[in-house]
Amino acid sequence: MSLKSPSKLLAAAALAAAFAVPAAAQNIRIGFHAPLTGFAASDGKTALQGAELAVEQINAAGGIHGRKLELVVQDDQAKPDQALPLANKYIGEGLKVVISGSYSGPTRAAAGVFQNAKIPYISAYAIHPDITRAGNFVFRTSFMGEVQGRAAVKLIGDNLKKKKVTLLTLNNDFGQALSAGFKEAAGKFGVQVASEYTYAMGDRQFGSIVASVKKDGPEVLYVSGYFFNGGPLVAQLRAGGVSVPIVGTEGFDTHNFISIAKDAAEGVIITTSLDRDTKLPEMRQFIDDYEKRFNVGAEMVAASTHTAVNVVAVAMRKVGADDPVKLREAIAATKDLSVATGRISFNALGEVYKAAQIQIIKGGKFRYYAVIDDPVLLAPPTK
Amino acid sequence: MYYVELLLVGLVWGCTYAMMALGLTLVYGLLRILHVAQATVFTLGAYVGLLVANHAGSLAAAFVAAALAAGALGPVIYRLVYQPILDKPPFVALVASIGVLIAMEDGFRLIFGPYGLSFAKNTWFTTAYSFAGMTLNLVQIWMVVAALVLLSVFAVFASRTRAGVAWRATVSDPPMAEGFGVSVTGVRYLAFFIASVLAGIAGVLVGLLNNLVEPGMGAVISYKGLAIIVLGGLGNVPGTLVASLVLGVVESYGTVFLDKVMDRDAIAFLFLIIVLMIRPQGLLGKAG
Repeated sequence: MSLKSPSKLLAAAALAAAFAVPAAAQNIRIGFHAPLTGFAASDGKTALQGAELAVEQINAAGGIHGRKLELVVQDDQAKPDQALPLANKYIGEGLKVVISGSYSGPTRAAAGVFQNAKIPYISAYAIHPDITRAGNFVFRTSFMGEVQGRAAVKLIGDNLKKKKVTLLTLNNDFGQALSAGFKEAAGKFGVQVASEYTYAMGDRQFGSIVASVKKDGPEVLYVSGYFFNGGPLVAQLRAGGVSVPIVGTEGFDTHNFISIAKDAAEGVIITTSLDRDTKLPEMRQFIDDYEKRFNVGAEMVAASTHTAVNVVAVAMRKVGADDPVKLREAIAATKDLSVATGRISFNALGEVYKAAQIQIIKGGKFRYYAVIDDPVLLAPPTK
Repeated sequence: MYYVELLLVGLVWGCTYAMMALGLTLVYGLLRILHVAQATVFTLGAYVGLLVANHAGSLAAAFVAAALAAGALGPVIYRLVYQPILDKPPFVALVASIGVLIAMEDGFRLIFGPYGLSFAKNTWFTTAYSFAGMTLNLVQIWMVVAALVLLSVFAVFASRTRAGVAWRATVSDPPMAEGFGVSVTGVRYLAFFIASVLAGIAGVLVGLLNNLVEPGMGAVISYKGLAIIVLGGLGNVPGTLVASLVLGVVESYGTVFLDKVMDRDAIAFLFLIIVLMIRPQGLLGKAG
């Protein structure tokens, strides 16, 4: 409907006013923000698709007590300064729960606002530790960087049986947290960090790092980053003659990583939350449905937002959708819930526990390599 | 040998900068415009090169197509964006230029998608030569060759041809040049054409070197290009080339020895600040 003439505009306003009266079968509106434009737009789009799929599935199955779910989507451009106006808009519109499908910058900034407003807020895949420290209304459905770093140490020490490792670390909060977790656990598995080089988000040329890796001669590389910088990095390492195993993180868990790095991606092993060869019915169904719905392979980011929507839906089935305080309690009580990212539980801080899925790229696809299910090693922080 | 390899890596980066910065310094010399939108031309060259290479399978065709597309876009930007505001203060053109850059970056995102594309068969990238414990791939070698050849051609053009003399005359005194029958407008179009062809070829080479072509790939290199032309002494062509190579080498060492303290782009601008504190006139001083 176009709103060019004043009379149509008035009619629309009247219509909107009519709908503003609470009705029994009103849709349940869930806030969802993600970087739909800007440098992180590809993750933002994937994140939104994961959430949309979850909403479609829940609505197709009858919704929540007869009411349909509806996402109220805003674009945060992955910028912290977009977060405050966006959070206030959600609060002003009276939303009772909000999901972040974004990176740490905006999520961290918005977390405090939602905490103060006592509105449950779930970070689907942003990893900064301060996010859940905002308070008891804030939850996270993804691994913290430290936890994932510890999983990588076990993978390298126990599964690959390698000792001498060089870290190539992205110098943002994601890379730093992975590196910190890795170094903290390295000693326990006899893994020795021979050297570490950091690089910036915008770097695409790694000639100097490739030369340094060859000089250091590690047995294995632990590489953080996203597909758009990690893809070129891995390709340049391989082209430069570095042939040791490469262990990556969930930042590489996207088909874009494979389409950029191409042959160089073969054999790269990652720690992530999504097992493409899973037998867990919820994860299997998500992977199959996602591919059917969007004609593209499922990714960690989408699985995480899909998980967040389902966590909210399960809580709403228990306590209804209108009281944010009760909703918070129900979300906090999530225990052994089977979702797209595995079987998850929240701890007292609102951090998730789940097994780490280890995938290897074979024939241009992510495949099962191992699973690390170690509640002590992978325990998220509690404060 | 490790230090020599880092030096080579830095010189390759420096050659990339040189191809971008020469165009920026040409435009600045003629019009006093900081042509940030050159990044758009660079990115267009990279995309056209990638599409042609992936469909026709020929890198030679890719370079020709990229040079032509880029060479066409530069003069169009001059005609549509800069020419109407030439009588305004220089910052107006700078703002317009940044506007073009942002708009085109999102344009690329809409047309080619946000994910970035890579070459289906990047044989230059995977063909490596090892000697004395160092490895260089064909893209790196071609980057240096291309910079040397193109910049030499430019040097001959500037010193030996009529058009080159007309260009130099217009840089030093536009009204006088016009009085002697030089078409100042023609010289400007030519400068944008040369700058854009260089940027377009650099775009394809950087796309091959990174093994990735993406909408925002030009922005950083363009802002760095501005730093380089300031470093080189504004409008000073030899100074720009020296500054490009020095910056490339500084970055190469910086990315492995200063990486915990600051990232590559910060190193570039710190270097700029330090040089300007010691030599405010730039490395080789201001042009004539």
